[in-house]
Amino acid sequence: MKKILVVEDEKTIRSLYKEELIDEGYEVITAEDGAVGYELFKKENPDLITIDLKMPNMNGIELLDKIRKEDKDIPIIIYSAYNEFTQNFSTWAASEYLVKSSDLTEFKSKVKELLSSRI
Amino acid sequence: MDSTIKKYEDLLRRYNILNSISKIVASTRELNKILGITLRGVTFGNGFGFNRAMLFLIDERANTLKGRLAIGTETAEEAWKVWADILQKNYSLEEFLSLEKFGNGEPSSFNQKILDISIPIKKDFIIEQCLDDGNPKNVDLTLNNITDEDFMIKDASVIEKEILDLVNHPRFCMIPLICRTKKVGIIIVDNKYNNREITREDCVFLMMLGQFAASSIRNTMIYDELKESLNKLANVNYQIKLLKEYNENILESIPLNVFVVDRDFYLTACNNNFSNLMGMQKFEIIGRNIRSYDIKIGEYDLIEEVENVLKNKDIRVFRNIRIKMLGKVSESVFDFTLVILKNSKENIDGVIGIIEDITKTVNLEKSLEEAKRFSELGKLSAAIAHEIKNPLISIGGYANRIKRKYFQNNEFDINNIETVISEIYRLEKILNDILYYGSGKKAVYENMNLSLLLKDCIKLAHISAEINNISITLVSEQNYIENTDIIVYGSYNSLKQAFINLLNNAIEASISRQKISVDSRIIDENSKKWVEIKINNEAFIQNDKDIINIFTPFYTTKIHGTGLGLPITKKIIEEHSGVISVESNFEKGTTFSVKLPLAENNNINT
Repeated sequence: MKKILVVEDEKTIRSLYKEELIDEGYEVITAEDGAVGYELFKKENPDLITIDLKMPNMNGIELLDKIRKEDKDIPIIIYSAYNEFTQNFSTWAASEYLVKSSDLTEFKSKVKELLSSRI
Repeated sequence: MDSTIKKYEDLLRRYNILNSISKIVASTRELNKILGITLRGVTFGNGFGFNRAMLFLIDERANTLKGRLAIGTETAEEAWKVWADILQKNYSLEEFLSLEKFGNGEPSSFNQKILDISIPIKKDFIIEQCLDDGNPKNVDLTLNNITDEDFMIKDASVIEKEILDLVNHPRFCMIPLICRTKKVGIIIVDNKYNNREITREDCVFLMMLGQFAASSIRNTMIYDELKESLNKLANVNYQIKLLKEYNENILESIPLNVFVVDRDFYLTACNNNFSNLMGMQKFEIIGRNIRSYDIKIGEYDLIEEVENVLKNKDIRVFRNIRIKMLGKVSESVFDFTLVILKNSKENIDGVIGIIEDITKTVNLEKSLEEAKRFSELGKLSAAIAHEIKNPLISIGGYANRIKRKYFQNNEFDINNIETVISEIYRLEKILNDILYYGSGKKAVYENMNLSLLLKDCIKLAHISAEINNISITLVSEQNYIENTDIIVYGSYNSLKQAFINLLNNAIEASISRQKISVDSRIIDENSKKWVEIKINNEAFIQNDKDIINIFTPFYTTKIHGTGLGLPITKKIIEEHSGVISVESNFEKGTTFSVKLPLAENNNINT
């Protein structure tokens, strides 16, 4: 079973993503900020990480930066409330960028796509 | 008989000469001309007919007699030549007197000699005596002391050496030049070449001429002095004019409306800017009394304010006002300053008015403020959009999920529905806060009891604190909240929200079994009485950035919260002329301090 790490500070969105991804048949672990997210990345060795851009403590960019220094290949999805990725070159290290939406169809298909290309 | 006729003819001729000399002298104001005419008259062959004449003038500052003019020749031969020439040309008296070349203008060696002479006026010498008694001194050094010619001076020892050297002839006559009591100089005449005797009659006529010459010389000197002083005065006037122009240029160049009134309210000076402001020409208003214009500085009467400034000897400044004149209100906005005008002796001469048109500045400030408001609005909108988006995503996401589950398994997850409801509730709360924060409405203010309000808030806060096992205590050492009415002027409802926000914030920051304390005291600051309330919790805010941004809208570290609680609190406190600050350290935790001014009739003693 593929393991997905969801790093998201908004509690309801975190649980929404978790429940939706579990329904898709993945194992899901969650973190409420970048610092916890990095700890779980090291400890749990996930197959894919989704990261919210705006978070307290360590934000999405800092986390992305730290992970990419150690793992160049792990699929990472960066998302935000609106299209902030273009403003920051650092986000280019992510595999995919998404704007947050209540419709999770695209999110779920991107997860599936990224995991299937990784054997 | 003949001799008598000749004597009278002689007299008549001499009077004629005197008359002519006086006429010509009166026609000029030039000292050199007067001197020349006088001496030529003395030496005119058909007149007094003296061989030589010398004139000295007194230099008052050096107390010396200075040689000015000598007419005559140095040798007998020269003398005969000149006289022959004059006889041949047959000059009339007037022609002769006006003759420039004779003794005036053309330097003779005799004349050159006299110009070098400067004789100190010494006591008991002939010059001093002559000027002192005002009598002619007839000198004849050839006489011995026993002759009966008493009026003659026979002793060379009383005569200054310089005179003896110059004249170089034993018989001469010295005439004083005195105008009223003013000593002007002397004339010396002699007959070196024909040796004619100088008679008593000669002396009388010479005295008459001398008096006339003296007054003419004196008049000329006075005239010259006057002219010189007039020139000096004209120069001073010119400089004053330049200075005045300079000052006026300054007054005209400054971009202010300036006017000056004296102590009786007459306008004594102003610049064109001011007269233009009054809609008049400068000459129309200068000299007028400002009482006649009915000028108001905002609501204040100009005359009364000028009176105040004169009375208090100080300065009055009116900012951002419009000027009313004769019932019309200015479109522009001004800063209006009235300041006392002192002269160099520190006496009060009047009042200066300085009016600065600040319309442009005010408009600029307004548009800047507007721009700032818009930019804040922009930032706020972005923040609001962001805050609203998260609950909307949750609601939408869960609604989709509920729908899908229902159609897939006919399953109905009550937790999902509760999440949707609580997120909708959160959205509502965010919007309420935004509406409050954005509203410009001012609550109704009245004198209210802050002790009651605080007790009220603490009672409410206890409910949520107890659930989380947190205690709230009052630590007021002066027991103000407990026992005293703290009266502040404000809105009960607004302040209640502010303090509930602070207490909730403290509860949410605390963990189980931690304490929250509320302290209050009365302080004196800036000559005002304040009540200071400190709300402390034990949690320490580690991140400096979090403290700096603690009152920034939507800057929140909490999972639940609108990000507007503390900004609203700050807004309410500041609306009440209060101050809010925060402090956090490891030992004491986090403390919010609120200072509010006490109502004026509060009778608490500190």
